[in-house]
Amino acid sequence: MTSTMTAPLPRALQAAVALRGVSRTYGSGTAAVRAVDHVDVDFRRGTWTAVMGPSGSGKSTLLHCGAGLERVDSGQVLLGGTDITFASDADLTALRRDRIGFVFQSFNLIGSLTAEQNVALPLRLAGRRPAKAEVRAVLAAVGLGDRARHRPRELSGGQQQRVAIARAMVTRPEVLFADEPTGALDSNAARTVLDLLRAMVDAGQTIVMVTHDPAAAARADAAVFLRDGRIVDRLVRPTARTVADPLVALQG
Amino acid sequence: MLRLSCSTFTERWPLFIGAALTVSLGVALVQSSLLVLISAATLDVPAGLSAADTVRFTEGAAVAVTVSALTLGFSAFLAVFIVGSTFAFTVALRRRDLALLRLAGGGRGQLHRLLLGEAVLLGVVGTAAGVPAGIATMSFQSWLLSTLGFVPDGFTAQWRIWILGVSVGVGLGVALAGVLVAARRAAEVRPLEALRDSGDAARVMTVGRWVIGVLFTAGAIALIILAPLGGAAGSMAMAVNVALCGSVALSALSPLLVPGVARLLPTGNGAVLGELARANMRDGVRRSAATAAPLIVLVALVLGQSGALTSFAAAGEAEQRRGTAADLVVEATGPVGPRVAAVAGVAGASTEIEVPVAITRSSGEDIEGETGLALVVDPAEYARAHPGAGSLDGLRGRSVAGGPGGEGGSPGDTLGVRVGGTDLGPLPVVAAVPAGIGGGAEVLLPPGLAPAAEVVAGMSRTFVALEPGADAGAVAAALAGIGTVHSVEDWIARDSAARDSTSTSVFLVVMGLGGIYALIGVINAVVIGAASRRPEFAAVRATGLTRGQVVRMALVESWGVTAVGLMLGVVATAGTLAAVLGTTSAVTGHTTLALPWPLVLSVVAGAFLVTGLTSLLTSWSATRPNPVALLGARE
Repeated sequence: MTSTMTAPLPRALQAAVALRGVSRTYGSGTAAVRAVDHVDVDFRRGTWTAVMGPSGSGKSTLLHCGAGLERVDSGQVLLGGTDITFASDADLTALRRDRIGFVFQSFNLIGSLTAEQNVALPLRLAGRRPAKAEVRAVLAAVGLGDRARHRPRELSGGQQQRVAIARAMVTRPEVLFADEPTGALDSNAARTVLDLLRAMVDAGQTIVMVTHDPAAAARADAAVFLRDGRIVDRLVRPTARTVADPLVALQG
Repeated sequence: MLRLSCSTFTERWPLFIGAALTVSLGVALVQSSLLVLISAATLDVPAGLSAADTVRFTEGAAVAVTVSALTLGFSAFLAVFIVGSTFAFTVALRRRDLALLRLAGGGRGQLHRLLLGEAVLLGVVGTAAGVPAGIATMSFQSWLLSTLGFVPDGFTAQWRIWILGVSVGVGLGVALAGVLVAARRAAEVRPLEALRDSGDAARVMTVGRWVIGVLFTAGAIALIILAPLGGAAGSMAMAVNVALCGSVALSALSPLLVPGVARLLPTGNGAVLGELARANMRDGVRRSAATAAPLIVLVALVLGQSGALTSFAAAGEAEQRRGTAADLVVEATGPVGPRVAAVAGVAGASTEIEVPVAITRSSGEDIEGETGLALVVDPAEYARAHPGAGSLDGLRGRSVAGGPGGEGGSPGDTLGVRVGGTDLGPLPVVAAVPAGIGGGAEVLLPPGLAPAAEVVAGMSRTFVALEPGADAGAVAAALAGIGTVHSVEDWIARDSAARDSTSTSVFLVVMGLGGIYALIGVINAVVIGAASRRPEFAAVRATGLTRGQVVRMALVESWGVTAVGLMLGVVATAGTLAAVLGTTSAVTGHTTLALPWPLVLSVVAGAFLVTGLTSLLTSWSATRPNPVALLGARE
């Protein structure tokens, strides 16, 4: 069932994010937990990769390390051509403004701001004054052009997640990191969000997504499987079925 | 960024209203106390007063200045403390929001500027509300001062235009000072903290808290040690400041202490609500500490100050009792000594006549002046009537002795003495009676030195010792023609009652408004704390608690924190009381402690009542929405 990615790749498909021998340990002494253990992985440009594994397998930590949200204990993290392993806080802030976008299970919108203010926030934090039309266009792209002036609590979960995606995409990031983006959504809302992500990838976006929903992983171009902080399996062009089998095996 | 601040404002208004309220009350209190102080200090002596009345007037004004200065000091302290603790709390409650901003690309500098910007906004709003509130406070304080007799009737504090500048400075200053440390910490928030409530966000005990805690503990201990050495006047201030230092130290350390003390509280035979409340207290250390902090300060200041005042008053009374060997006291005008002594059955009579005095003392370059009262005494009789006063044999001719007031110098000094309008020239100090904790005349004068007109008009008291076997009633009846006769016990009791009412008045003026301010700080913390707990309340209701149970849980928790705050406040108070014991022992030779129990009990009951009511109201309103609606709307 293991299929390794052996086909030669054109240079244009070089890694958008690459982890080289990355380890991350929490706690110390006997309580130490190695959440990520010597992981080598490339996330190629313009592809959508699902990171899967049972709870506690280190999926989220892997994502956080790749996004520069978490320091690594050893190894190297490359974003495009840039080594961000030892980037300063200011550099990482700049990265989050320009080159990285985030979407989370719990939406993480700012409750006091309207949808359009939430979307405009990263640009404004970067010191730009986005034109209203620009922000509206991004919202329209996620199908929420008519919800611009609503606050998060006036939106459904699926709508909130789409606002979060719009906020992540407004800076046109090189990589979009998504942590269980459909985890809190019903299947209809989840499908809408996944369709949206698929369309973005087809337009050239790179997405790294943590999930344990086989249906979500089936929409991705590739899947990697983690257990105890290590990559134990990889799949290209996964389907719900080919994803489910190794998952069941890992749970056992 | 400002727009973000504004929209945050509309969203989290209880937080900001609370913070602005503390700023405005602080501004009001400081502004009013400063204006009252300046007005009292520049009070002109009315024309046409006699020398004695002038002394009385300036003495009264001096007390008014001291009391206003104390009020100002406490107000400023409370403003800084309460605004600081409120702001730190509000910033801490918004950590997740701030981490979200970081996640969306916000830099540290931006967060820092955002919070400082908010502080400026709150400072401006608070000042705008505080200035008019200060005018109302000022008329109240003036009324209080004149009602309690510290200033003459019709005293009004003068408005000064430059106070606007001071108030703006105070408002912005306390707001910025309050947020500075909190903002620096918040700017260190790591973006990942938006996703989980752990790590640094959960760490409440910061280096700053440690430094403040240790520093102020050391300060409190130093004051306890130094207070007995401060003399009758200085030790009082030091003793009260022990509670002040202690309460700051304990507030800073309270995140360490609250969970520990919480463990001691009874949960009520395994009742689940009690356990839940106790767990919440320990888990919500930040909130528990923020509620406890103003309470600690309130309790420590109120109980420390009042305990010190009543103890010193009691020590003064006991000292007077020990220092008086007589049976009757005759209050009259002028030198009545010979007439009293002539009455059958009188063994000895020490007549002491009050005259107004101005003392100048030159030490090196400086010339210090002091106005007060002098007593014209018969040295031999005085020594007999006041055991412990020592020998005054040398007090005759052109000389003076230091009085119990303690400002009259010691043997070997030379004082410039002026009685009424007459300059007596430089006089040697030949003896000194021990300074009393209750104060008294600055100097003792031998007979025949002070101008006769002043002596004849001076109030006098004559301590009468009876011959063995003499009938006190008969002697008193015979003396009634000379002046008002009291038994010594009655006289001391009346005298100390007068002192008590003075110290109660001082307490009212100094602590009254400050206490209310601190109380509002407590209420504020409870309201802010509950306002941010809607999702948590919703979660426990979803687990099966009824609304009533949630409200009860919050109440138990609130009372738990109140108990902790009271306990720590009492610990800080104990510091002051230790200083009082040391001081009374050092000054009078006897340790004295008297606690105003009715006040202690009403502070305890009032604290539980206020936090309980506030908690009921806020948790009731926080549980009004359907819990499912709140659980669904995760932001």
